[in-house]
Amino acid sequence: MPDLLTMSGVVIRRGRNTVLDDFHLDLKNGEVVVLVGENGCGKSTVIEACAGLIDLEKGSIKTAKTIIRDSEGRHGRPESPFGLCLQSDCIMGDELVKERIDDVAGLCGKSIDSQALLEQWNLGHRSQDRVASLSKGQRRKIAVLSGVLPSAITDSPTVILLDEPDAGLDEDSVSRLSGLIRDIADGGHGILIASHNSQIIACADRIVTFDDSVIESAPSDGVAWKIKSKPAKKARIGNRLDRRTLGSLSQNIIPGMLVIGALLALSDPTQFDSRMRIGAILAPALAAGLSGDPISSRLTESRSSDWWRSMSAIPPNALLHVLISSALLTTLACTLFGKLEYNLIFAGAVVAMITASVILILHQATLRLSRPSALMIRLLTPALILPWAILVDRLA
Amino acid sequence: MGDSGRQIGIVLLLPRFMRDLGTLLLMSGFAGAGLTLWLGLVWAPSVSIDAFEAPIAQKIFYWHVPSAWAAMIAFTLLFVGSLAWFVKRKEWGWNLHVASAEASLAFGLMAVWSGCIWGAAEWGVPWDWTDVRLNTFALLTLLAIFLVLGRRSQPDGIETRDTFATFGIYGFILVPTTYLATRFWQIRHPGPVVATSEGSLNSDMGMVLTLGAISFTLLVIGHTICGIRLTKMESRLIEIQDIIDKEGI
Repeated sequence: MPDLLTMSGVVIRRGRNTVLDDFHLDLKNGEVVVLVGENGCGKSTVIEACAGLIDLEKGSIKTAKTIIRDSEGRHGRPESPFGLCLQSDCIMGDELVKERIDDVAGLCGKSIDSQALLEQWNLGHRSQDRVASLSKGQRRKIAVLSGVLPSAITDSPTVILLDEPDAGLDEDSVSRLSGLIRDIADGGHGILIASHNSQIIACADRIVTFDDSVIESAPSDGVAWKIKSKPAKKARIGNRLDRRTLGSLSQNIIPGMLVIGALLALSDPTQFDSRMRIGAILAPALAAGLSGDPISSRLTESRSSDWWRSMSAIPPNALLHVLISSALLTTLACTLFGKLEYNLIFAGAVVAMITASVILILHQATLRLSRPSALMIRLLTPALILPWAILVDRLA
Repeated sequence: MGDSGRQIGIVLLLPRFMRDLGTLLLMSGFAGAGLTLWLGLVWAPSVSIDAFEAPIAQKIFYWHVPSAWAAMIAFTLLFVGSLAWFVKRKEWGWNLHVASAEASLAFGLMAVWSGCIWGAAEWGVPWDWTDVRLNTFALLTLLAIFLVLGRRSQPDGIETRDTFATFGIYGFILVPTTYLATRFWQIRHPGPVVATSEGSLNSDMGMVLTLGAISFTLLVIGHTICGIRLTKMESRLIEIQDIIDKEGI
């Protein structure tokens, strides 16, 4: 039987240093491998590389059927979604506790009784709360649960990647987690953990240190962990989040309204020629689009974007709401500037949608940097004014 | 001296030669650019007052066109450097990327700024959002600002280099787009005026323009060579700091 996960000859450079040099690791079904070593030795790098978050200089990372990432630039996702818990909690503060668990199940194409699971972890009473209102330890529990849940609901063997899952958990929770790790392994899944905690290390079948030594161990058996689930469709997470937080109202509609207000205050619409009128009608949509997707800024919270990038090809977004709000803005502009036409409303909605999508792509392209927020990515947005201006010219 | 001795001599003398060459080219370029400006303003014949709205402002042409030409060379070097780093992981590729991004910014701003002044006099507006060449060239300049400021905002490392090299590679698509723009969309910018079958440029004007193009070419190459030297020194300084950190001095 092929290994569940194989890292061969992996070389990874981060910043100016080579963190992993010709690193090899394999993970078999039902095996718990714990990475042990001092801070900075490369434990988190191994976990993040296996999650497909880091580019490889050399070597490859593969599951039985898929290349997760290789030095040629090929990348993919495993057949059954893996479980992932990074050092950061990777949860947006506006997500509800129950929603988060349901979304993880949804990524596996399943729905579960998440309330019952939360009760078991003493979080039942917080199921309808926003994650931002939880304590650090409670947030960590949710992050760990999100990481291990795929193993309980998928039918095929799954890779579970946990980076210091015990950090911030109390004694009881660590004991519960260490028991759960053995139960997951007993279900035939492979678990790769980076940890310093002795209880977690005691669960290992193999302990890998970063001085080229491997320690074989014989931990106690567990009982396969399984949660009842039924097939379900993936939820539109970004749109749902945006509906609750009204992000597109503040991020897209308000700038568009300000543009309309400024145009009305500084000019007389009755004096507009055809080109100026079309420009005034489509300007709010451009402003709404240039303001970007309302969810992307939320995804920067505690590395949520990394978690989603690893789990899903398309990260949560509310581009549909940008489309709708721009159509409304353009309708309002059409009414105020005296030219109500359906093709203009359609053009406004599409302009905003495309503009916001391009900004989202630019934002995603810079996430690998160590300080993406310090980057002036907005400097490149005038690229979006040229197509808008040409469209205005053509429509006029 | 044997072959190996000669090779060692070349290796030792090459940096000094490049330093001297860079300075020499930079100085020659400055002198030529100054001469071009003087000839353009004082000696070159004036254009027909019927052909231009603002014939006097046309003199900006001798600064505007060579600086745009030099910017295009710098953007091409940026592409080559980015590609060499991204594909082959060549250290000289990254040094070339950094130096040519700075040169692109300098010459790009010269071309955009002089163009705005000329446009304000000739067209009545400094900017037209529908003119493709104007906008694609401005985008190239914005890309250069992004690369220069962005690099300074990030610690040096493989992630930083890969990300900016990617922008350098994809951004190059704007160079042929800018070059070909007036052939497909002639909105404000005129079509080609040099080396066309119409031969629309006076020979004295052509001579000053050629002098400008050569001077600005020397200037951009000299600027890039000096920039590469500075980037290498910057890297060396970081390495020395790392050594001091490790030794705990």
